[in-house]
This record gives sequence, C-alpha cells and structure tokens, in this order.
Amino acid sequence: MTFLAPWALLAGVLAAAGVVALHLVARRRPASYPLPTARFVPDRRTLVSRASRRPRDLLLLLLRVLLILSAAAAFARPVLTPRRSAIARILLLDRSAAVANPAEATRRARELVSDGVPTRLIAFDSAVAVLGEELGVLDSLDRVPPTHGGRVASVSALMAAARRLGSEIGAGADSVELALVSPLTDREVDAASDSIRALWPGRVRLVPIAATPATRAMPPLGRAVRAEDVLGPALGGRTVREDTHAVRLVRGEPSGADSALARSGGVVVRWDSIGTRTAVPLAVAMGDDVVVATLARTSRDSDGVVLARWADGSPAAIERPLGEGCLREVAIGVPVSGDLPLSPTFQRIVNGLTDACASVRVDAGMPLDSARRAAFIGPARAARGSALANSAERPTPITSWLLGVALACALLELLLRRSYGEPGAAEAA
Amino acid sequence: MTTGAASYGALLDAVRGVRWPARRRATGATIGAHRSRLRGSSSEFSEFRPYRQGDDPRRVDWRLLARSDRAYVRLTTDRATMRTEIILDASASMAFPPVTLERWQRAREVAIGLAAVAHAESDPVGLSIAAEAPVRIPPRARRSVIAEMIRAVETVTARGSSGLAPLLASSRAARVAVITDLLGDAEELLAASRLALAAGSEVVLLHLLTLEELDPPAEAQLAVDPEQPELRRSLDADGRRRYRAALDSWMERAQGDFRAAGVRYVRALASESAARIVRRVAADAPADE
Repeated sequence: MTFLAPWALLAGVLAAAGVVALHLVARRRPASYPLPTARFVPDRRTLVSRASRRPRDLLLLLLRVLLILSAAAAFARPVLTPRRSAIARILLLDRSAAVANPAEATRRARELVSDGVPTRLIAFDSAVAVLGEELGVLDSLDRVPPTHGGRVASVSALMAAARRLGSEIGAGADSVELALVSPLTDREVDAASDSIRALWPGRVRLVPIAATPATRAMPPLGRAVRAEDVLGPALGGRTVREDTHAVRLVRGEPSGADSALARSGGVVVRWDSIGTRTAVPLAVAMGDDVVVATLARTSRDSDGVVLARWADGSPAAIERPLGEGCLREVAIGVPVSGDLPLSPTFQRIVNGLTDACASVRVDAGMPLDSARRAAFIGPARAARGSALANSAERPTPITSWLLGVALACALLELLLRRSYGEPGAAEAA
Repeated sequence: MTTGAASYGALLDAVRGVRWPARRRATGATIGAHRSRLRGSSSEFSEFRPYRQGDDPRRVDWRLLARSDRAYVRLTTDRATMRTEIILDASASMAFPPVTLERWQRAREVAIGLAAVAHAESDPVGLSIAAEAPVRIPPRARRSVIAEMIRAVETVTARGSSGLAPLLASSRAARVAVITDLLGDAEELLAASRLALAAGSEVVLLHLLTLEELDPPAEAQLAVDPEQPELRRSLDADGRRRYRAALDSWMERAQGDFRAAGVRYVRALASESAARIVRRVAADAPADE
C-alpha cells in the first residue's frame, strides 16, 4: 500500500503526538475539596498545570488519536499496489473461417503457453471472446468445433479486446506479451487495423498458421435462366447442373423439393419481384457494390443474415440457414425494362445473391506480405505493464472505511466528553 | 429511643454531675440552683444589714436587737432557675470534614450535653436549630425534653446557610449558648449578642473548629466553599501559608470582638470529646462570683 499524499499522514502523526502531549501536560482544574474556610484562601487562578508520566483520560486519548490518524490516513489517499509479475501474456487465438485447421491453431497455442507465463486467452470464433486464465480452456476448444459461420476474424476487434485486457493486467506485470495465433490474411485486416494496432505499445508475437485456401468456384445453377430474363445477362455464364449444392431460383413460397434441396446443402433463392413494372429510384448495396436505379421494393422478413441493404439500412436480401444449405429471400424488384441487367455492378450483386451459402463460402484472403507483417509485429520488445495500465494503483475502499472510522471516533469522543462533563471531572469522580 | 439517641447515653453519663453555674444572678421566680437577684425568706442566711425605714419588721432579728440594742434585718440568699436555650448552627459549613462530618456530630453532642447539664440543675432548657427548616423547642423543665432534643438533632442535616442572629434575637432565655463555626452571619450574631446581653441575658459562644480547617489536607488543591459553591480558590504552597495567616487573624479578631461585647467565647476543636467541651463551657467561672 502506498499513499498519494504522504504529507497528510505526517501531519496526522504530528497532530496525534500533540494530542498525547496535551493529555500528558494539561492545564486543568484540580480536584475540588469542600473547605468552609475557603474564603481565607487568597483569590488566585484555579487552573493549574500538571505534568504527568501517564496520560489522563486514556479512553478519550485513544479515541482522539484514532480519529486523527484515521482522518489523516484517509486524506493521505492510500492505494493498493498489486503484486507484480515479471511478464504476463495475452494470447489471441484465431478460430475463424480463415484458419484451415483449428486443431493446429490450438496445438500451437498450447505449445506457446507451456512456458508457464501467466496467460489470458482471447479467441475469435464467430466473435471476440475473452476466455479467461485457465489453460484448460484450450482443451475445451479442441472438443468444440468452430462456429464461425464462414466469417473470418477481425484483427481490429482482436487488438481492441487485447488492449482492454492489457489495461487490466498491465498493473500486475512488468511487461505484457501479446501473442497472435492466426494466418493473418489480408481479409482479417481492415482499414482500422493499423490505428488499433498502434494502441498496443509493444511487439505482437505472431504464430502463423495455415490459412483456408480460397479455391472455391461459384455453385452451379439448378436450372438454366432464360435469355429474356432480367437476370439472364448476369447468370448466363453460370454452369447449370442439378446436384445437391446447386442454386435454385424460385418465385413464391418454396416447395418441399426446394426445402429438401436446401437441407441437403443447396441454395434456394426466393426472388419474387423480377420483371416488376412499377419502380421508383432506389439504391441497394451489397458489400462494396452499390446500385442506384428504378427498382421496386417489397417487404421481407429481416430475421436472418443480411446480404444486401437498401439505402435506409433496411434489409434488401437475407439468408437463413436451413440444414446444410440455406434459404435466401431477395426483396429487390427488378424492372422489365432498362439497361440495369447489363450493369456490371448489378451483375456482381446478382452473382453474390446466387453464391454459395455463407457457412460454406469461405474467402480467407491471402496472408499479408512480409512488409505488412513486419509492420504489424512492431518493435522487438514487449509492452510495458505500466504503459498499458491506466494507473499502477488500484482504487481501494479503505479510504471510505478510514473516514467512517474517523466519524465514529468523533461521535464517540463527543459522547464521552459529555459524559465526563468538565475537564478533569472524571479524575475527581 | 433511636440508635442515634442511644449513642448519647455515654455522653450523658460523662456529663452527669457537671455544674453550669450562671454567670449572672438569676431572675427566675422558681427555686433553682442559681443565685437569684432576689433576697427573700429562704433559710440560706447571707448577712445582717441595719434596719432602714421601710424594711419589713418581720425580717428584724429580734435576738440580735436584744443583745446589741440595735435593729438589724436578717438577709438570706435565694436560688432560682435559669431559662437556658441552646442555638445550634446547622449550616452547610458545619458538615465538615466531608466524609466524617465530625464538626456537625460534635456540635450535636455538645448541644445535648449542655442541655443535659442545664436540665440537671432544674433549668428549663430549649433548643433552636438554625437549619433550612428551623427547629425550635422552647425551654422546658420536664423530664422528656432531652429526649425530644435528641430526636430533633438527629433528624436535621447540616446544609444551606441559615442565620443564627434571628434565633438569638428572638430568644427570651436568660442564658443562651450558641454552637457555631462563625462562618455564617458572624457580624449579625455579634450585634444580636450585644442586644441580648443588654437585655440581661447571658450569651455563651462555642466556636467549633476542625483540624482540617487549621491545616487543610494535601489533596485539597482547590478549596470550594460548601455554602458558596462559586467561591473556588487554589491552595498551593504560598496560598496555604497566606490562608493560615488569614485564618489565625480572623479567629483572633472574632474572639476579641465577642469577648469585648461580653460574650463568653469558648474555642474548641471538633476532634475533642464532647464531654470535655461541655466541661470547658460549664466550668468557666462566673464573672461576678
């Protein structure tokens, strides 16, 4: 424990010593003695000073000293300085779709933590999760398959979580090592990654693992699209093959066969408003592609993964998992006339809406090049704990307790003094 | 009789036989133990005086006339009783020292002892107690008066600051004994004594002191007057020296003033036995004998 204002404690000690001295040497009224002939005693002061080796009114003295010391200790602002370890570690474990073999990631993580350094684990599966200090968590992860739903990790999210956790454990360690078990692909890094990475004042120990290969082709269409269909220009070049992973475009409620296809791993796209005649200028966005055209807008249930959105943010296309496949609902009404079908942007949106289900559609991207990786790893030294922690001292409730003790002592002292009456009455009694 | 009254038994035994002669000739009409101002026809011969015109012819000593051929009148001495009243100071200062109350205890005993001595000489004896609720037993000669006095002094507690002078001024007794510490209305008491003496009464003042007053104990560092609690004085070494000087001066002055006025002033310590104090008061020789 340290004191932020030790001078207050020193002042309190001096004041307490003064109180003790006053109890040892005090001007007080001596014990009275009834003497009928007191009138013959010369009229002089009736207060006398008396020095004693033993303080008078011991209980009162103790209360006063405790009152002063408690208040002084409270005003000295005591803080608890936690016990520090030499090094601590934050382990970021990538279990997203970008990882080709999650078991390998866990194995590398286990090798990393086998050195005995206190480690806190943050995992990215479908989202960032701080998994605690117990390394048995790694064993649990081995037994649970990833539930990333085809998503790749966000390094920005991982680094932000690591920075928050670093603020907590930085006060208890001289240095904090940040280890990242990840393929670190370009899809895991976004525009905010560099600025968030800069918030970590030390090196990132990268443990690279294999990334999921991006070799997947577009799924075939179950039926060929007619040439006069507005989606024809976009889907004309797609392979047509009726198999369990095919994409089936339907209008109206999906039939039982459609559901069976979806459950077996296929994609059923319900797109009702193709060839609509009433349209207004609207904008729809899917990923980085935005189309502004005269479109019709129909209402759709928003319960599912949003694939495309209108300009006001409401979903224009959603996907719901169904068995091993999925069911998509598209609310974009495409007019029968116009050159919209010829727009490359629109064609990319159409291809995206007829792509494989998100759970199997993995695009982990390419590992970062050596220059970006070196920039991401940063300096050679680990982050200092004091640089991470907001304050090396933790706030402690002891100040409130000390003030409470001081208040209680003040009340007791007042009551005791009233019960004594005038100074010296207790001794006279 | 109460336990307190029983404690007076030894005192009454101790003062039995003590005589308390009157300092002046008694004026009472009842035959008693004191010399009377009257000379009448008692059997106690005093002297012969030549016959003067107007004398009662029956008092002429005819045998002496026959032998000497001169007429002499035969004079005799009469004896009379003396109304005696004891005035007892019951102010707070009498309750001293604080624990033993020795002065108050001794004052009560002396009062009863003097009353018993007077009563033994057939004098009507009464008691007045200057307490917060004054007690007055008028002079009586009946046998139960001493027991009545004992009951009275046992029921009174010394407290407050009642004056003695009013009791003395209202007394009609021929002999008044005042038992006090003179720490109350001493000036008024002196004036009342002068009036009583002028009226023909005999006034005896017993000034009771204590050893603690003459030499206060070491623990007495702050002296507080029990009758005036606001009077608080510090008793250090120098204060003690000056206190003793002032106390001695006051005692001498009081003794001189009362004796100059004709009051029999007797000073006694409360540590003395009550019987001894009674004897000292009673044994003092009458001035005109």
